Amino acid sequence: MSEAAERTDRTTAASGQLASGWRQYLRAIAALVRKDIAAEVRSWELVGAMLVFSLLVILLFNFALELQVQLRSEITSGVLWVTLTFAGTLGLNRAMASERERNSLDGLLLTPVDRSALYFGKTLANWLFMLLVAAIVLPLFGLLYSTNLVSPGLLLVVLMGTAGYAAVGTLLATMAIQTRTRDILLPILLFPVVLPALIAAVKASDGYLQGLPPDAIRPWLNLLVAFDVIFVAVAMMLYDSVVQE
Amino acid sequence: MKPMPAGLRVLTGLTVVLFGLALYMVFVYAPREVVMGEVQRVFYFHVAAGWVGALAFLVVAIAGIIYLTRGGRRWDHVAVASVEIGVVFTLINIASGSIWARPIWNTWWTWDPRLVTATVMELVYIAYLMLRQGIEDPDRRAKLGAVYGIVGFISVPMTFLSIRLLRTIHPVVIGSGDPTAEGAFDMTPRMLQAFLFSLLTFTFVYASLLWHRLRLQSLADRVEELKLRVLSA
Amino acid sequence: MLLQEGPADTLGYMLLGYGVILGIMAVYLVNLLLRFRNLRQDRALLEDLVDETEQSAQ
Repeated sequence: MSEAAERTDRTTAASGQLASGWRQYLRAIAALVRKDIAAEVRSWELVGAMLVFSLLVILLFNFALELQVQLRSEITSGVLWVTLTFAGTLGLNRAMASERERNSLDGLLLTPVDRSALYFGKTLANWLFMLLVAAIVLPLFGLLYSTNLVSPGLLLVVLMGTAGYAAVGTLLATMAIQTRTRDILLPILLFPVVLPALIAAVKASDGYLQGLPPDAIRPWLNLLVAFDVIFVAVAMMLYDSVVQE
Repeated sequence: MKPMPAGLRVLTGLTVVLFGLALYMVFVYAPREVVMGEVQRVFYFHVAAGWVGALAFLVVAIAGIIYLTRGGRRWDHVAVASVEIGVVFTLINIASGSIWARPIWNTWWTWDPRLVTATVMELVYIAYLMLRQGIEDPDRRAKLGAVYGIVGFISVPMTFLSIRLLRTIHPVVIGSGDPTAEGAFDMTPRMLQAFLFSLLTFTFVYASLLWHRLRLQSLADRVEELKLRVLSA
Repeated sequence: MLLQEGPADTLGYMLLGYGVILGIMAVYLVNLLLRFRNLRQDRALLEDLVDETEQSAQ
C-alpha cells in the first residue's frame, strides 16, 4: 500500500477510535441521566418534595412580605429565585442521599469511563429536575400574582441560572453527604458560592419582567454565562477527587 | 519538634519591629484627615487586614491545587493554617470596616461591595472549617477541603463583581447624599507611605503566623503519634 | 472671613477601631500560645508514658 494511503488509513482508524471514545462517553452520560430519571419517575420523591416545598415557600413569602396581588417585578424575581434556591437544595440533598442508600454509585464507579461522565450525568439529571419544578412553579406563580412569567427572556434566565446552580450544587452535594452533618452542610457550602449566579439571575429576570432594554440586561446574562462555564469546567475537573471510593 | 529555626526567629523579630514602626506611622507620621478626622487612621490596618484575608485565601486555593495534583499532607496543613489566619484577619477587616463606617455614614453597616464580599469570604472560610469538622478520615478531609478551597476562591471575585455591578446600576444612598461614596478621601504622600508600609507589615505578620501555625501543626501531629504508641504498647 | 469647620471629632471611633483590631489579633496570639503550651505539656506527658510502657514491656 502507498504511504499516503497508509497514513489515511491510520488517521481514519484513530479518529474512529476517538469518535467511538466520544460515543461511549456520551452514552455513559445518557445512561446515568436515564437511570436517575427512571428512579424518579417510579416514586416522584424528588420533584414532588421540591414542588410542595416551593409552594410552601411562596406561601410563606406571601404573608411574610405582605405581597399585593399585583406584585412589583423586583419582588417577583427575588421571591422566585429564593424559592428555587431553597427547593434546589432539597433536591440536591435527596438526589445524592438516595444514591448513597442504594449504593448504586459503586457500580457506576466501576465503569471504564472518565469520571467526568459521572459528574455530567448527575448534574444533567439534577438540572432537569430543577427545570421540571420551575416549569410548574413559574405558571403557578404567574397565576397567583397576575403576572406573566412564561416569557422567552425569563425562561432563558431560568435555564442558565438553574444550570449554574446544578453545576456547583452537584459537586458540593457529593461532598456534603460524606460528612457527619450531611444535609445541613450543603446550603452552608453552596449559598456563598452560588451568590453571584443568584444576583445575576434575579437582576436579569427582573430586567425581562420590566421590559428593560437589552443593554441593561446583557451584563447580567454575561455574568451568568461566565459563572456557568467556569463552574462546569472547574467542577468537572475536581469531581474525581470528590467521589468516594 | 525541633527548636525554633533561626529563620523563624529572625522573621518573628523583624515582624515585631515592623509592626511597631507601622503603629508609629499610622498614629504619628500620617497626618489627620481633613474631613473624617482621627477615625480615618483605622483605614490603614483595615485594608491591610483585608489584604491578609485575600492573600490567605489565595494560599488556600494554591495549596489545594498542589495537594490534589501532587499530594503531600504538608500542603493540607498549609491550607488549614492559612484558613485560620484568614478567618481572623477577615474578621478584623469586617469589624474595623464597620467601625470606620459608623461616624462617616451614621450606620454600622454599608452594603458596599467590599464589605459584603469580605463577609461572603468569611462565610466561605467558615463553611470550609465546618466541612472539615464533619469528616473523620484525614485524607478525605484534605481532599474535600482542597476542592472547596478552590471552588470558594473562584466564587469570591465573582461575588464582588456582581455586587459592584449592582451598585453602579442601582446606587444605594445610605446616609450621605453621594451614591458613589465608598469612604473616598484624598491621600497625601505621607498617608500613602503609611498605607503601603501597613500592607508590607501585615504581609510579614501573615508569613510569621503561618510558619508558627505550621509548627503548631507538627507538634499536634507528634502528640497524636505518641498517643497511638501509648495505646498500642 | 469664612468659618473653618475643621475635621470631625472621631477620636473615640478610632480608638474603638484600633482596640478591636489589636484586640482580635491579641486574642488569636494568646490562643496560639495556649495551644502551644498545652501541646508541649501533652507531649512531655506522653513521652514519659511511652518510656514507661515500653520499659515495662521489655
